[in-house]
Formats: sequence, C-alpha cells, structure tokens
Amino acid sequence: MRKSLLALSLAVVLAPAVVSADTTINGFASIKAGMTTGSDEQLYGYDDTLDFKNESLIALQVKSDLGEKLSVTAQLLGRGRDDFDVGFEWAFISYQLTDNMTINAGRLRTPFYKYSDFKDVGYAYDWLRVPQGVYGLGFDTIEGLTFYRTAQLGSLDSTLQLIFGGYDGDASLSGVQVNATIDNVAGITWELAKDSLSARFAYLTGKTSIETAPVSLAPGFTVGNLYQALTANGLAPVVEAIDIDDESSNFIGVGLTYDDSNWIAVAEYTRVEVENSFISIQKNWYASIGKRINSFTPYISYERENNDAVVSIYQPYSSVLPPQLLVPLQGLVATQERDASTWNVGLRYDFHPSAAFKAQFSSEDLDTTGQRNGVLAFGVDLIF
Amino acid sequence: MLSRLLVTVLVVAGATIVLPARADIAVIVNPAQNSAVTSDELTRLYTGRSSVLVAVNLAESLPLRGQFDEKGVGRSSAQLKSHWAKLVFTGKGTPPLELATEAAVIDYVAQNPDAIGYVDAASVTDAVKVVLTLN
Repeated sequence: MRKSLLALSLAVVLAPAVVSADTTINGFASIKAGMTTGSDEQLYGYDDTLDFKNESLIALQVKSDLGEKLSVTAQLLGRGRDDFDVGFEWAFISYQLTDNMTINAGRLRTPFYKYSDFKDVGYAYDWLRVPQGVYGLGFDTIEGLTFYRTAQLGSLDSTLQLIFGGYDGDASLSGVQVNATIDNVAGITWELAKDSLSARFAYLTGKTSIETAPVSLAPGFTVGNLYQALTANGLAPVVEAIDIDDESSNFIGVGLTYDDSNWIAVAEYTRVEVENSFISIQKNWYASIGKRINSFTPYISYERENNDAVVSIYQPYSSVLPPQLLVPLQGLVATQERDASTWNVGLRYDFHPSAAFKAQFSSEDLDTTGQRNGVLAFGVDLIF
Repeated sequence: MLSRLLVTVLVVAGATIVLPARADIAVIVNPAQNSAVTSDELTRLYTGRSSVLVAVNLAESLPLRGQFDEKGVGRSSAQLKSHWAKLVFTGKGTPPLELATEAAVIDYVAQNPDAIGYVDAASVTDAVKVVLTLN
C-alpha cells in the first residue's frame, strides 16, 4: 500500500516534469515612447506630451508539444494603452497532417496582410510600427480554423493558407469603439517566393454587422435616433442602405517584397468593401524601402489612403429629406471620407542579439481638412 | 553637433564588431545517412522550410555560429533571428536545437540518424559524415 502510494506520488511529481520537457516559453516586448510635433496634432494615439505607454506591449507564449503531431499554443499579450491588461492574442491547437500540411483551430490572427500574423512582434521587422494607413482596419483575430500547405513549385516556394471562422468583438468606427461581428469568414492567402522576391495574395469574405446605433452624431442624437426618424418618415430603404447589418464584405490584399539582405523593399495594396452600408470602399497602399548597413537599417516609406464617402446613399433623397435628417445623414456618410498621405523615415539599430532600437518620424497629411500630424517615436523591440 | 554624435555612435558600433578567425565549416550528418545535401537544401533546413533532416545549431555565443548563418544560410544572425521570431510567434515553427559546443553537435549527429549539424572542419571526427564544406 505504502509502496504503491509512493509510486503514485512519484508519478504525480514526475509527470509534469516530463510534460514540461516539451513545453517552451518565449516572449516578446516593445517599450516605445512618442509624441506629436505640434500641440494641435494627434496621431497613432499620441498627443504633444511624451507617452511611454501607448505603443508599449509585452507578450508571453507557451507552446506545448503533446506528441503524435499535436501541439497547443497560447500567447498572452498586454498592451500599455490597455494598462497592460492581459488577453489571449492567439490560443490554438495545431495538428500536423503531413510534413507540409498543418491544421490549426482556436483563436488565430486574421491573415489580411503580409505582417498580420506578427505585427505585434516588432523585432521581426524593421519599422517602428506597421504602416497604419493599411494596417488600421482592426478585426485582428478570428475564432476558427486554418489550414496551411507549403510546397515547392519548381523553384518557387509556395505557402497556401485557407481560413474559416468568425469575429465577435470590438471595432473602431470613426474613433468610437462599437460591437462588431463578422460571420462566415472564408479566406485564402497564397505566398510565392523565389530567391530575393516574394509575392502575396489574400482574399477574404464574410458577413459584417456593426452596432452603429450608439454612435453619437450630435449632442443627444445618435445614429439609432437617425434610423428611427428615417423609418418613421417612410424611408426604411435608406436605413437599409446605411446600416451595417449582415452585409456581404470582402477584402483583397496584394503584397510584393524584395529582400537581398542589403536592400529590402515592401509594398502592399488593399481594398476593403462592406456592401450596402455607409462604409466607404477603402483603397489603401504603402511602399517602403530600406538598406541594411551592418547593424543599421535606415528606411523610408509612404502610405496612401483614399476613401470616398458613399454620397450616392442620400443623393436620391436630398430633395425629399427634411434638413434635420439630411444634415446628420450627410455627416454620418462624410465620416468615412478619408484622403491621407503619410511619409515615414526611420532607423533600426540591432544593438544586441535579441533586441533592436528603433526611431521613426511619421508625417500625415489629411487632404480633406488640410491638417498635418507629425509623430516622433523611439523604443526597443526585443524577443526572449 | 548632431553629425558629431552620429559619427561617435558609428565609431562605437564599429568597435563592437569583432571579426572572428575564418574557418572552413563542415556540414555533418549521421554516417547512416545517404542523401546528398545541396546548399539550397541547407538553407531550407535552417530556415524551417524543410524538415527532411533535423537541424541542430551551435549556441549564438560561438563565433562559428555567426559564420554559418552567413555562409551556410546566407543571412546575418540578426536577420535569421527575425525570421525565426516570425515563425515562433505565429506557431509555425521552432528554431533548431542549440548546443553549447562543437563536441555536443558531433555527439548529437552521431546518435541521431536524421540529424544534420556543422562544426569547424578541423573538429570533424569519424563518428559523423561530411556532406558539404563551406569556406
């Protein structure tokens, strides 16, 4: 009895040790500070007081290999702007079907862009931050499953990814946090690489719903009030044309990269459409070039956003709508108008085998309002 | 003032670059292994694009590691580290096991039929087979 108890307690003591042998813990952190260059400017969450919190983050990843080609990965991440409150950024189980096919299920990253998967891992790229003009869409994570297949097509390295799932969380609409869901997300990404060149293509579709009703249009007058007033005036079709209720949506992304170890150039173009809503078709792109000089990588990049407001929604009704409805309607539609170009100049300095210092100046010009916003930021990205 | 500061920074950075003695690097496999390894395949093995063989690395602190990153994989150590960070933090891969000494690499390769590693060409023993020499 005593012997078997001892054996049992030994087994209990030893079992976790055996498991932990196949468990790895990694992490990454970014400590960044920045401020705008003028008192009336706001950009990327900065104003004219030096802020160390806004873009700082820290993450821990635990991966446990359960054997038999099954593993589980959880990544906990806390952002300074959320007071370092920790949440699961990734949490998935992974099953390796064959040497070149893997299936992951759980909370994953929505693969919109080339840098989507690791945009929080600043150490993995040269910029201080990924180009916000293109990467600012939101909907970063998805709950679902994804399938990867790597292959060699002649001399080309091919990576194919299929993804299925849904999003249920926050979305930022004209700077306001609202509830959003994207159901029935289905997507494909395909990356082809040869020597220094690689090309990426992404296409995703889904049904988007965004709870716009609480968004305030004027003191005491919300989007919900506008919908009610329009419906009461017999204009339900206008409400249907504006609201974001289970609307067919699609995303197209194209990316090109050149990296010969000396020069690195990246460009991405994206197009986002939420049909039958006041959301503009968003056509954004950026191009970036950098040169590695020993431990230094200076770079320059340019971003362009061009979104036209969907004025066609209210134009047919301009003459019949009373001004107290037409004006807020025009205002709502106009929030989606955006015509911005941004220059970024920066430097990465690999001062340590696991850490890089970065500094970047960004200058955004808003052609619609004539406003210019500049941000100077610097910091350290590291992995451990 | 700024340019002087910049020059100082560059000089300080330059001074930290230690140039290790150049050595021929022998890429080694288990003697039971018959497949040839091209330099393309070597790059694929050490960047996680192939798992035909199990790659082992030397620890980052050893100068030969940096030389292998450049000559064997064709990238700087920092670039390779960035590359692996992408794979690790997206759950797509685990970097090669790192061993502290060349003797440990020879031991590991001698005991694992599917292993591939590298050591200074002068350190090779009969326990392993050389498939590629980088110089």
